[in-house]
Amino acid sequence: MSVISARGIVKEYPYGGDSVRALRGVDLEVGPGELVAVVGPSGCGKSSLLNVLAGIDPPTEGRVELLGRDLGALGEGERSRLRLREVGFIFQRFHLLSVLTAAENVEFPMAEAGVPKGERRARARELLEYVGLGHRVGHRPPHLSGGEQQRVAIARALANRPKLVFADEPTGELDRRTGDEIIALFERLNADGTTLVIVTHDTSVAGRTRRVVEMADGVVVRDGRAGG
Amino acid sequence: MSLFFGLALAAALQAPPPGILVERRLAESVPLRVGDTVRVRALASGATPRPFVVEGVFERPADPSRIARNEYEVRFHLPDLEEVLGTRDRVDRFAVVLSPGASPDSAARWIEGLAFGTRAYGSRALADRTSATFRVVSRFHRAIGIVTILASAIFLLCVMIIRVDERKRDMGMLRLVGVSRGTVFRSIVLEAIGITVAGSAAGAGLGIVIAQVVNAYYARYYDTTLRFALVTPRIVVLAALLGLGLGAVAGALAAWRVVNVPPQRLGER
Repeated sequence: MSVISARGIVKEYPYGGDSVRALRGVDLEVGPGELVAVVGPSGCGKSSLLNVLAGIDPPTEGRVELLGRDLGALGEGERSRLRLREVGFIFQRFHLLSVLTAAENVEFPMAEAGVPKGERRARARELLEYVGLGHRVGHRPPHLSGGEQQRVAIARALANRPKLVFADEPTGELDRRTGDEIIALFERLNADGTTLVIVTHDTSVAGRTRRVVEMADGVVVRDGRAGG
Repeated sequence: MSLFFGLALAAALQAPPPGILVERRLAESVPLRVGDTVRVRALASGATPRPFVVEGVFERPADPSRIARNEYEVRFHLPDLEEVLGTRDRVDRFAVVLSPGASPDSAARWIEGLAFGTRAYGSRALADRTSATFRVVSRFHRAIGIVTILASAIFLLCVMIIRVDERKRDMGMLRLVGVSRGTVFRSIVLEAIGITVAGSAAGAGLGIVIAQVVNAYYARYYDTTLRFALVTPRIVVLAALLGLGLGAVAGALAAWRVVNVPPQRLGER
């Protein structure tokens, strides 16, 4: 079973009295355990595709199945619950809550999912250890470096043990060395069985994934599977 | 018989002057002490001043209707007062204290029946007649209060909208990772209620301190026990309830703006 199955995706946004077509018929299948990079220049539709695939934005046309569920048949509440419990998100600008500590940021999605307090404390600590921040659990985001903040964001994305993680320009705010460390972390995560879809324009990130989906003008122009 | 009249005359000549009570403020400003002799005459009568002995000093009850008048009060026995004034059987005003359970209406009717033209009022009716000015002042204060509450509500709403706008990205992130609209909505409303209740508590505390300063100043200025500013438990409870209500409304309006924007657009400037 595919983790993501998208068929004939069209996405239009209203613009003035007209509309702008951001996606012009995208087909994409992502299987379990894949590490996929979606690349392309700015404005090619990468972020629009991520929003549609994650059930954040409904497509104008086409059908998306996420983890075996038809997103078009789910209400907004059900899509939110699906994202909370089975999908992880990593953003370019980390988007950590600055008033919470690293551990509390990781606990937050678990609290929303109803995980008991003791269990989420233990799991948050375990996840921060996993991303190499076991010594920074009590620090707040403003006291962490960019790389450390992104590691906390990765730990938060893994909080509810998702089957799939979306990352939107995860190294965009980081220097090369820190970006490499984050990609290494993604590789480890993928080796542990998590499916990852990374939207990036960083060619070095794309070069370390097993599959590169290249977009231009709202369509997939190349889908380079390993060996393909 | 002549011996009797002689003794009576001598006793009258040696009799101490009659006693009076003077108000504490007067006693302090002259100054007068118990046992002092003072000579008193009515300004209108032109009669020779008569001596009186200060038998006591009393504290005049605090009365807001007399606070601004710089009058001193002296209490005479009624015959002595008639002597000083040079008029008898004439009373402008007098107060009657009723026994517990007595009907003020019956007493008023009885007193009005004693002499033609006499009007008797119960204390409540008299307070109503003499406190018209204070009622106007009270309405004025209420109007100021309402305007203040309205201005505070608008200010609070603006604060909440600004606070929420500053954190739109965070809110968007929460929605993207699957936190429900309801949770985001409730968190904003709870934050607004927290701000307003804390503000109400701080306002009530500040009000209590300011009331004490105002009362201390005017107590000294007017030499009175009257209290000019009061923060009662009812006012504190009202402030807390208003804080709750205004916080809930302002939070709900600010939250409504956020939860109705698609999460991916909350990161846009």
